[in-house]
Amino acid sequence: MTRRLLVVGLGNPDRGDDAVGAMIARSLAGRLPAGAALRERAGDMLSLIDDWHGYDAVICIDAAAPAGEPGRIHRLDAARDALAPDLAFASSHAYGLAEAVALARQLGLLPRDLVIYAVEGLGFEAGAPLSAPVAASLRVASERVAAEAQRLARHGAAAQA
Amino acid sequence: MATRKTIRVDYLARVEGEGALDLHIADGKVTEARLNIFEPPRFFEGFLPGRSYTELPDIVARICGICPIAYQMGAVHAVENAFGVTVGGQLRALRRLIYCGEWIESHALHVVMLHAPDFLGYPDAIRMAAEHGEVVKNGLFLKKTGNEILRILGGREIHPVNVRAGGFYHAPTRADLAPLAEMLKRSRDIAVDVVRWTAGFPFPDFTQDYEFVALRHPDEYPFNEGRLVSSRGLDIDIAEYENEFEERHVAHSTALHSVLKKRGAYLVGPLARYALNFDRLPASIQALAREAGLGPVCADPFRSITVRGIELVYACEEALRIIADYDPPSGGSVAVEPRAGTGYGCTEAPRGICWHRYDFEADGVIRAARIVPPTSQNQPSIEADLKGVAQALVDAPDDVIRGRCEQAIRNYDPCISCSTHFLKLRVHRA
Repeated sequence: MTRRLLVVGLGNPDRGDDAVGAMIARSLAGRLPAGAALRERAGDMLSLIDDWHGYDAVICIDAAAPAGEPGRIHRLDAARDALAPDLAFASSHAYGLAEAVALARQLGLLPRDLVIYAVEGLGFEAGAPLSAPVAASLRVASERVAAEAQRLARHGAAAQA
Repeated sequence: MATRKTIRVDYLARVEGEGALDLHIADGKVTEARLNIFEPPRFFEGFLPGRSYTELPDIVARICGICPIAYQMGAVHAVENAFGVTVGGQLRALRRLIYCGEWIESHALHVVMLHAPDFLGYPDAIRMAAEHGEVVKNGLFLKKTGNEILRILGGREIHPVNVRAGGFYHAPTRADLAPLAEMLKRSRDIAVDVVRWTAGFPFPDFTQDYEFVALRHPDEYPFNEGRLVSSRGLDIDIAEYENEFEERHVAHSTALHSVLKKRGAYLVGPLARYALNFDRLPASIQALAREAGLGPVCADPFRSITVRGIELVYACEEALRIIADYDPPSGGSVAVEPRAGTGYGCTEAPRGICWHRYDFEADGVIRAARIVPPTSQNQPSIEADLKGVAQALVDAPDDVIRGRCEQAIRNYDPCISCSTHFLKLRVHRA
C-alpha cells in the first residue's frame, strides 16, 4: 500500500533566497509519486502541524540562514533526530520551522517520517531574486527531493540512513 | 555614594518582530525605560500614492501576516467613506465575521503560545506543552479555527485576497460556512476554558491609571465602526483623530510614538475595548468575566491575558451568531464609484485601534496615505508600565527585573513588524 506523502515548500517567495523552498516545490509538480500532495506555506509555521496531520511522511523544503557555504543542501531526518537548537531557518516570526517541529514532537503530532531539505541562503532582501549560488543548486536540490519522495512513498526515511 | 545601573535586553523573544529594552536605574529609582524599536521603516505610506483604490486592500494586507484584516478593513472603510458608499446587511455581517477570525487566530496565538508561559514559569510553549499538552493542542485548534474563517472568507489564511471596497469579490454560500460553525462551537468551549485557566494564574500586584481609547458603537462590541471614545471624556468622529492625537519621532525607535495632544500617553487594545464596551458584551460573557475576577474595568495590564480570553469567547459567539443568521447576498459587493475626496477608516485590530486616512483623485488614485497602527500608539504606555514594573522590583537581581519587564511588554502582544514599526532589555545601573 502506498504511503501518504506531503511535500511542503516553505518561505516567502518575494525575499531573495527565502524563495528557494517554494521554487523547488514548484519544480516538483508532476514529478511526485501518485497521490502525493504538494503545498507551499509562507509566514506562520505553526500551521504546519495541521498541514501534516494524516500523512505518513512529510518533506519540508526551506532556506537556511547563511553559514559560509551558500547553495549547500542539507538533509535532516527530523522525525529521528532533534534539530540542533542553533539551527537557523529564515523566519522573522515567533514560531519558525524548528519550533514547529519541536512543539509537534512534544505533543506527539510529528508524522512518522519527516525529512527537511534546507538550502543555505546568501541574501534575503525584499524583492531580490535568488542569489547565484542558490540558483545554481536548484536543479540538484529538486532532484534529491524528488528521489527522496519516491523513497518515502515506498519505505520510511530510515531506509535512506 | 550615588549608585547607577543599566539593565539591557538585546533581543525580546515571543513577540512578532525585533526590538530591545534599556532600563536606567540610579539611587534605587528607575530613571528611564526605553523601548528600542530598530526594525527598518517600511514606507507603505510612501508607495501608496499613485496606486488605485482597487489595489489598496491587497497592498495594506502585506503590512502584517498576523493582522491583515485590520489593515484591509481600515482601508476599505476609508475608501467607502471618501466615495459615499455604505455597506450594510449581510456584507457588513461578513466583514464582522472575517474580523472575528482575525481576533481568534491572533488572540489564541498570543494567549496560549506566547504569553501563558510567562505566568507558569516556562521559557516557551514547547516546554509548557510537556505539562500542559491539552491546553496547547486546544490553543492550536482555536488558532486553526480563526485561520479557517480567514481562508474561507478571505481566499487564503495569510494576506487574504477576497476583500474589496464595497464588500468581497465573492460571497460565501451557507454550505461554505457550515463547517466553520462546527469548529466554532468547540472553539467557544475551549475559549471559556482558557478564560478560567488564565484567571488562576499568579498576577503581580500592579495597576495603572490609563486613559483607555477605543471605538464605541451604539449596540455592538466594536470591530469596524463607532465613535472614538476615551475613559477621560474624549468622544469624537474618527475623522477628527488628527485634531486630538499626534505622532512624535523619538531617537530610540523607528516607530513613531502616539500621544493625546492634551494629555499624553493613552492605551488601546483589549483592556481599553473591554473597559469602554463592557456593557456591549452579552450577559453570559459579562458573567464569565466576573467569574474570572474581572470587574467592568480592568487596569491591570498583566490580566490582559484573561481579557483577551473574554474577547476570544465573544469572537466565537459573534461568529456563530453571524453564521446562524446568514442569508447569502445576491452579489459579493455593492457598486463603488470613485470621486475626489478624503476618507477615514478606524477599526479595532486585535492590538487596538488602527487608523487610516487617504486622499483620492477623482479617478480613485491615491494622492496621500496615513496609517497609524496600534503598537505605535501603545509605546508610551508600554514605557510607563516598564518604569512602574521595574521600580517595584528595583532591588531584585537583574535577571528577575529583566524577566518581569519582558512579561510586561508581552502584556501588549506588540506587533513590532507592524509598528515600524521590535526586542532586546538592557538595565543600566552604575
